[in-house]
Amino acid sequence: MFIELEKREKEKIAAIDTAGREVTYGGIIEFAEKWKEKIGERCMILIIASNSIGSLTGYLSCMINKDVPLMVGSGIKKDALAHLVDTYHPKYLWMPEGMEYEGAEKIWSEQGYCLVGTRLEQYPMFEELSLLLTTSGSTGSPKLVRHSYGNLEAQARNISAFFELTEADRPLVSLPMQYTMGISSINSHLYVGATLLLTDESMLSPIFWKFVSEQKASSITGVPYSFEMMYRLRIYNKKFPDLNLLTQGGGKLSRDIQVKFAEYIQQNGGRYIATYGQTEGSARMAYLPAEYAISKCGSIGKAIPNGKLYLVDDDGNMIENADTKGEMVYEGPNVTLGYAECGEDLIKGDENHGKLYTGDIAYKDEDGMFYIAGRKKRFLKLFGHRVSLDECEQLIKSEYAIECACTGDDKKLRIYLTDEKYQKLVKDYVLDHTELYADAIEVNILENIPKSEAGKILYSQL
Amino acid sequence: MSNLEKYNGVFVKVFNVDESCLNADFLAETVEKWDSITQMSLINQLEDCFEIMFEIDDIINFTSYEGGKEILKNYSVDI
Repeated sequence: MFIELEKREKEKIAAIDTAGREVTYGGIIEFAEKWKEKIGERCMILIIASNSIGSLTGYLSCMINKDVPLMVGSGIKKDALAHLVDTYHPKYLWMPEGMEYEGAEKIWSEQGYCLVGTRLEQYPMFEELSLLLTTSGSTGSPKLVRHSYGNLEAQARNISAFFELTEADRPLVSLPMQYTMGISSINSHLYVGATLLLTDESMLSPIFWKFVSEQKASSITGVPYSFEMMYRLRIYNKKFPDLNLLTQGGGKLSRDIQVKFAEYIQQNGGRYIATYGQTEGSARMAYLPAEYAISKCGSIGKAIPNGKLYLVDDDGNMIENADTKGEMVYEGPNVTLGYAECGEDLIKGDENHGKLYTGDIAYKDEDGMFYIAGRKKRFLKLFGHRVSLDECEQLIKSEYAIECACTGDDKKLRIYLTDEKYQKLVKDYVLDHTELYADAIEVNILENIPKSEAGKILYSQL
Repeated sequence: MSNLEKYNGVFVKVFNVDESCLNADFLAETVEKWDSITQMSLINQLEDCFEIMFEIDDIINFTSYEGGKEILKNYSVDI
């Protein structure tokens, strides 16, 4: 069975959520049996995910019965959702009670979630296809990452190994389930028989911190934005006696904040572990062992167990020397199958063969620990969301017939236009069609967008 | 610039709205873009703007345009 769920103690509580629901390991398996009766043959199910028992049991039922979930967040825009359904033809949607999807027929409701049928014809799916996640949380692109069953098994086993997870753990799962780090946290903890503490509450909600302390959370996993928020809230002045592990991924955190929280958790007898990952690598690919959290702050560490990390130069030759930059390549059983951009892609097999060119430029130190120096691909990470700059340009150009170029850093998206008339229109349009915030978008007007003789935009001159 | 102008300016910038929208109905529950990220951004900019530092409870309870004015009084900022 999926991540050996049948071997866990039946009575043990597998997850608790902030709505007060809970489910045992035995309960998950019983739920999956009922699911099978409703769903029948293997099919694709679009899950509008939330960090709740209903969402979790739906996801796990898919895994146990080999249905293929396509997971999106509940904040998805109506037209983006319709576009995904039109593109991939899920047979059912599993979504929070109270939500509606036009033309879909309600079949079943349980645990605050309901199953609705779309009557769409299924595309044939590769037999090892296990899970579909979106590549971008914010531009509404329908591009998906195809995971295999082997990817998720390896993810659960290897991540629980390097974090040294045990069944006594009570991890707070506050990163969204449809996000690779969220799902990896779920899989790796269920694999060891831990109890998940699921919440969708924001760190600014009093319920969040009450849940952490009353439910005796033993770990918190966050992206840089989560730690920046905890820093602003001065959580390091609060005592959480049961907290013994902080893990961070999803981009670079500033040194001050990492050191502050590493010291905080060490005083509590706990560990701080920074990690590196991507959806394409089923979340984590590298980790910085806890003993280096302060002395090698800023490093992403080394490959996770059963994985290999190395650097290559522009000609594809391996770089052996320390302090020499190159593109970072990862090899391991968690490298996903490839992408899907249309329904016909679902039948595709493994296109990556266990090897992933990460698009990140890195170097390593004398001890073999890796440091990210820059990015080869054109994307930003804003609030933990990956924002493809090319997709942003496409989004704008598909609405307005104007010249535009997008650049930025991990704090702001910068849009360049040549016609002042569109300054506000474009900003409003991007805000309406992505999950970005006004503060994170800057629209600048230039006389000309710098281009090469071949007509390519010279982003370095922007 | 008056304190009200500064206060409104921060809201206009963070939520990308017209100043005329700012009234007693401008609340976390009703404003779509008001979430933890914009709230934190609001807090950061108000702290910079008025040279103050909010207590945790005030950050958590800063959930409306009018309520925010009351909170600022605790920091000797009269709007």
